[in-house]
Amino acid sequence: MKHRVKFEVNGEAAEIEAEPRETLLDVVRERFGLTGAHAGCEHGACGACTVLVDGAAVRSCLLFAVQCEGRSVQTIEAFGTPAALHPMQEAFRTHHALQCGFCTPAMVLTAIDMLAHSPNATETEIRAALAGNLCRCTGYAGIVDAVCSLAGREPVDS
Amino acid sequence: MIGARTLRREDPRLLTGRGSYLADHDVPGLCHIALWRSPVAHARIRSIDTAAAAALPGVVAVLTQADLDAAGARPMTHLLPIPGVQPLAWGVLAQEVVRFVGEPLVAVVAASRAIAEDAVDVLVVDYDELPPVVDVHAALEFGAPLLYPEWGTNEFLHLDYATDGLDDALARAPHVRTERFESHRIAALPLEGHGAQASFDPATGTLTVLASQQQPHQLRTVIAEVCSLSEGEVRVIAPDMGGGFGNKQHFTREECLVALLARITGRPVRWSQDRGEGLTASIHSRPQVHDATFGYDDDGRVLALSVRVVSDLGNPVLYFSGVGPSLVTVGALCGGYAIEHHGWSLSCVATTTCPVGGYRGFGQPQSHLTTERVMDLVAADLGIDPAEVRRRNLLPDAPRPFIAHGGARIDVGPLGPQLDQLLDSFQYDAWRERQRAMRDAGRYVGIGLSTLVQGTAPTQYGVAGRGGSYETAIVSVLPDGNVTVAVGSKSQGQSHETVLAQIAAEMLGTTVDRVVVRDGDTALLPNGMGTWGSRTAVMAGGAVRVAAGRVRDKMTAIAAHMGGAPTLEAVAAEAWWHAHRLPAGIEPGLSATVCYTPGRTIPIPDAAGHTSFDETFGSHMTAVAVEVCPATGDVSVLDALLVSDCGVVINPMVVEGQHQGGFAQGLGAVLYEEVRYSDDGQPQCTTLADYTIPTAIEVPRLRVVHRETHSGTEGGFRGVGEAAITAAPAALAGAVADALAPLGVTITSTRLHAHHLRALLRAAGVEPDPAAFAIA
Ligand code: FES
Ligand code: FES
Repeated sequence: MKHRVKFEVNGEAAEIEAEPRETLLDVVRERFGLTGAHAGCEHGACGACTVLVDGAAVRSCLLFAVQCEGRSVQTIEAFGTPAALHPMQEAFRTHHALQCGFCTPAMVLTAIDMLAHSPNATETEIRAALAGNLCRCTGYAGIVDAVCSLAGREPVDS
Repeated sequence: MIGARTLRREDPRLLTGRGSYLADHDVPGLCHIALWRSPVAHARIRSIDTAAAAALPGVVAVLTQADLDAAGARPMTHLLPIPGVQPLAWGVLAQEVVRFVGEPLVAVVAASRAIAEDAVDVLVVDYDELPPVVDVHAALEFGAPLLYPEWGTNEFLHLDYATDGLDDALARAPHVRTERFESHRIAALPLEGHGAQASFDPATGTLTVLASQQQPHQLRTVIAEVCSLSEGEVRVIAPDMGGGFGNKQHFTREECLVALLARITGRPVRWSQDRGEGLTASIHSRPQVHDATFGYDDDGRVLALSVRVVSDLGNPVLYFSGVGPSLVTVGALCGGYAIEHHGWSLSCVATTTCPVGGYRGFGQPQSHLTTERVMDLVAADLGIDPAEVRRRNLLPDAPRPFIAHGGARIDVGPLGPQLDQLLDSFQYDAWRERQRAMRDAGRYVGIGLSTLVQGTAPTQYGVAGRGGSYETAIVSVLPDGNVTVAVGSKSQGQSHETVLAQIAAEMLGTTVDRVVVRDGDTALLPNGMGTWGSRTAVMAGGAVRVAAGRVRDKMTAIAAHMGGAPTLEAVAAEAWWHAHRLPAGIEPGLSATVCYTPGRTIPIPDAAGHTSFDETFGSHMTAVAVEVCPATGDVSVLDALLVSDCGVVINPMVVEGQHQGGFAQGLGAVLYEEVRYSDDGQPQCTTLADYTIPTAIEVPRLRVVHRETHSGTEGGFRGVGEAAITAAPAALAGAVADALAPLGVTITSTRLHAHHLRALLRAAGVEPDPAAFAIA
């Protein structure tokens, strides 16, 4: 049985018919072609599927589409373009915070969400906030540097 | 340009979610594959009932190996060309017997992955369980259950090597010690799991396969063989890859299955590995046990080293399987040390577990652990500083190449000065003083060292009996003066679009932003060897450099003919648009195709019986300081520094990123990760909650210091990507051993996880914290 869901995706009103078992991750990728959200584990452990729901970073693999009624969803595609990067994306590039890029859109969104709440976070706080997003390539140093630079912090252990 | 911290050309699209990974390629009518995988470690299949599955709405096909056979599928093999290896070929799907939990038996093609999984759930498979064999030593015992009874043993391969006089040297050595060193089983775990997608065009007879694959051209060959197609009928495209790390180097059953199913069903099909499949039924790595006997003199010089290596292959139904890494292990046991007498035996053993294969480092972390532990134990026995013991054993500064046991041509720079630089940069003496002070204050601080000499850019001939050591590149200056580069290597995150553009731009006298690098498509180039073995800078970089040099020479000739000082754009326009005006004997256009080899490997034994598998070597020296909490077994890294010599550094930012990322993986391997099985062969790690890779909280910063000793290969590059992941386990094991030495704990394995250290501490009579004891 399908359910009608009305919500907002990257600022535009949307309405879909979703099966109860379809996740928000399935929906943004398959219905909206927003493939910047990645399936890294589909069990809430890696963070690669992170999107913003009502402005807060959530794991879209753990949220069913039918739970999104009336909510506002933002994916990485709403933040910056290749020609005009968002400041967080610019910082990631400057600090070599990505290699394969698979974790990256989610990491950027998590960092944006984090700094929105604590703009002057310390390195320790930044590391803790990013700990729900796994990266297998970088060893995190560049990511931490990037976020520290926007928080106005010198990484203490560099 | 070369040597600049050029920001990456791939970043803008990856940062904005415009990367294009395997699962981002939806096409109309796309079907999805799910697999029935064995729930038991060893069983004989009695029957498969597909009726209920086939009847589900949305199911397109349900197939077993018999169906694939009927469609003309040919068996897969390990391709190992080594005399004495057991015969082994296997179907794309298992048929009569399954030999590990996760082995695929039935494939379902359906309109969605969810429907395909529903169908898998209603398949009825009847089987008789057979006894499993999980422990590698149990598998070698007489009477052990046999995976392949026709072998009469579980030993898939046995090899021996010894210098003349090894036994004498051990007998005469003033000190002799025997220790067992163990490397535990882990998983590479690229964040994007493996996957493949295929479509067949009956009009042209072309099969197009998208695969998250490090060696697209080699996969093309294997798919053509398995599907009975010609190589010209198969196009393999590796799109953006979310990591590879050797896990995506093998040519898997699933990739061949996708290709076959696209032909059989006539539908585009995709298989996207889920994380459970990735952890249980993809590829595991590293499990080896080394029994090392080493003789040394009173000054700490190691005179002889003999190692018996037992390597767990799992079920070796995998191209080159765990044998490939094991061959690298036994070739690297002396590392960067001049040890006069040396020998090894290698026993590669099948068990009813997931196939073992490559992971970044590829056999070297295991040999390096043994070599570095030997140096530390010699130092401890004699009361000599471990840095000094290393200095006394390092390869002499001349001659180069140093010809190692077996014939490897080691071409690294002088190692003594590099060790000095490490000790100086790390402030080793200051750290030793700090360690004494902290110990006096009751804190358990240790320092670990790794002096790694690492073969890079290897030939594949030794494990495949074909291919060898080369890379292909096409460099073209287009009519408007922009540059394209096509290469047969394939980036999985290593920044090839940037560093290869830096090389081409430097050679052609243009800027990096005017160079576009393309890889991962067999339609771009006739053949290529892909990315593995720390080879791309040396091999693809060398190929790009030679090709760009040829184009530059041609441009120089045209420019001279034009007179004045024409711009690159003017020369390009002249070459493509005004061919009638070119000097006599010069072809129109500006493009060069090069198949480059440094030609320095010896893939099959020469007259002296020598083989040498690596084009060039890197040398990387690492020091770490750790503190171990004896109550909890927690290890904290206080400092870590690596002195890196990868020859000419193309982009220091990228090299530092490779070291930091490799260090994180090496640290994760020894502190947090372990693939575990129950005694009956059930995997204990099926989610990322059971298999825990380190997060931003756990990974410390690795300081990197560069030095540059040019290699003799084109451009002077040496490989770098596998250095830190190889160094970290050995250095951390040394540091933890040093930290806990006052408590009587000896470290002989890569298991430095808190619960393992607590067990060692308890065995040494240390009473752990009661709270920690409760969670042990
Ligand atoms: S895919 Fe959602 S947390 Fe991993
Ligand atoms: S950049 Fe590859 S997983 Fe983070």
